Amino acid sequence: MNKRLIYILLSLLMFAACRSDKQKEVDFSKEFEVPDSVIYDGELEISEQAMEDIVQNISSPVEIAALIKAVGVPFSKDYLATTNFVDDYNTSFKKAIGLGIFGADLGYQNMYNKTGGVIDYISAIRTLADGIHVGQFFDFSTLKRLATNNQNLDSLMYISVQNFNQMDRYLRENNRSNLSSLIVAGVWIESIYLLGEVIKEAPNAELSEKIGEQKIILSNLMLLLKNYERDPSIKKLIDDLSEIQEIYKDVTITYEKGEPEAIEQDGMLIIIQNDKQYIEISNETLFQIIDKTAKVRNNIIQL
Amino acid sequence: MRNIYIIYALFAIILLGNSNKLSAQSGQELVDICGMIAGDATYLKDFPIKLDAAKVGEEQAKARHSLVLSKNTQYRFSICNSKDYPGEAIIQLYDNNRLLGTNYIVATGKSYPSFDFKCTSTGVYHIFISFKEGEQGLAVALLSFVKRL
Repeated sequence: MNKRLIYILLSLLMFAACRSDKQKEVDFSKEFEVPDSVIYDGELEISEQAMEDIVQNISSPVEIAALIKAVGVPFSKDYLATTNFVDDYNTSFKKAIGLGIFGADLGYQNMYNKTGGVIDYISAIRTLADGIHVGQFFDFSTLKRLATNNQNLDSLMYISVQNFNQMDRYLRENNRSNLSSLIVAGVWIESIYLLGEVIKEAPNAELSEKIGEQKIILSNLMLLLKNYERDPSIKKLIDDLSEIQEIYKDVTITYEKGEPEAIEQDGMLIIIQNDKQYIEISNETLFQIIDKTAKVRNNIIQL
Repeated sequence: MRNIYIIYALFAIILLGNSNKLSAQSGQELVDICGMIAGDATYLKDFPIKLDAAKVGEEQAKARHSLVLSKNTQYRFSICNSKDYPGEAIIQLYDNNRLLGTNYIVATGKSYPSFDFKCTSTGVYHIFISFKEGEQGLAVALLSFVKRL
């Protein structure tokens, strides 16, 4: 009788052991073979820690799209990058920067709850993410289901942004931060492109100021990219962005420090910064930035 | 008699082996819980933090992250502690040299699960995360977008 019980318990133990093996974190770097060309093993100009400092939230598709929507400009699919040539994105450079561009377009569509064309974009993102071996972080089936059913659109935004964060974190933790930086650059370029297209159709002081304040963001992005300037494709991108940075020299940003204050409102703690930031950008400079960014972006997406 | 000992031992192994898995919270669960604390704000970034307890006579290390925040935007910083560790996380927001806000008000001893930050100047900001009284802790801090101002 006891022997039988021991056998049962041993079986249970073996079953439990198998189950716990499944639950262990999977080391994707072992599961997916990554070609050498994707891993950046060159010397970094700044430390990994300093890069961590720079990279967070440099460009967020959510914030720019929210601004465009907040100023009352209607949605236009004409602004979006075409997904027709995704299968021809044949280098890790193209794939990573394309991921950023389509990520920004996905954020723009999500912000307006426009799910009609979203599936093309999530399919394109999956193709590119698979191409640089981070497809495992992109929950294509859930996103497709949410977009198809046209419901729970907050979840669509939440999951897609989180998936991008997971890809970004994984790339940085696995010595592939060159690709993570390119994704960030792609999001930034497409966000400025979207802003520019909207300004051309409906000039708006708030949107123009937003372009002006990108002087700060671009300088951080350049610091990030300059780490990888030995890569000829990234060097070319840096040269293009340097031309935009040159135009930004005519944008003046001044500050007036204020005292931050904390208030409690309905049980919620709110910190008000009270600093003032003034951004001066002429129309001529504004359109030079818009035109140059559009050229850089169109070169990337038209192959 | 020997068989009974073996049975006890096997029971103990099975129970111990599974107890941690039943209670341990994953990082993803913490992010999801934190998302609920953030309410209807739109998720932007999450920062997982795990710190060991401070050694006697030493200050606990702080986790630091730098991030770009934009002018005329209201952000929400939410914090969610793992129930598997004793530490209660404190999040502090700095600009280049000043403390702008925190979820823990020392004067009153009151902690908030989140706080909003009305940003009036685009630039790089820094968040420092530590655990009260240097206890060991695991937490996730979440940055969300509330609205344009």
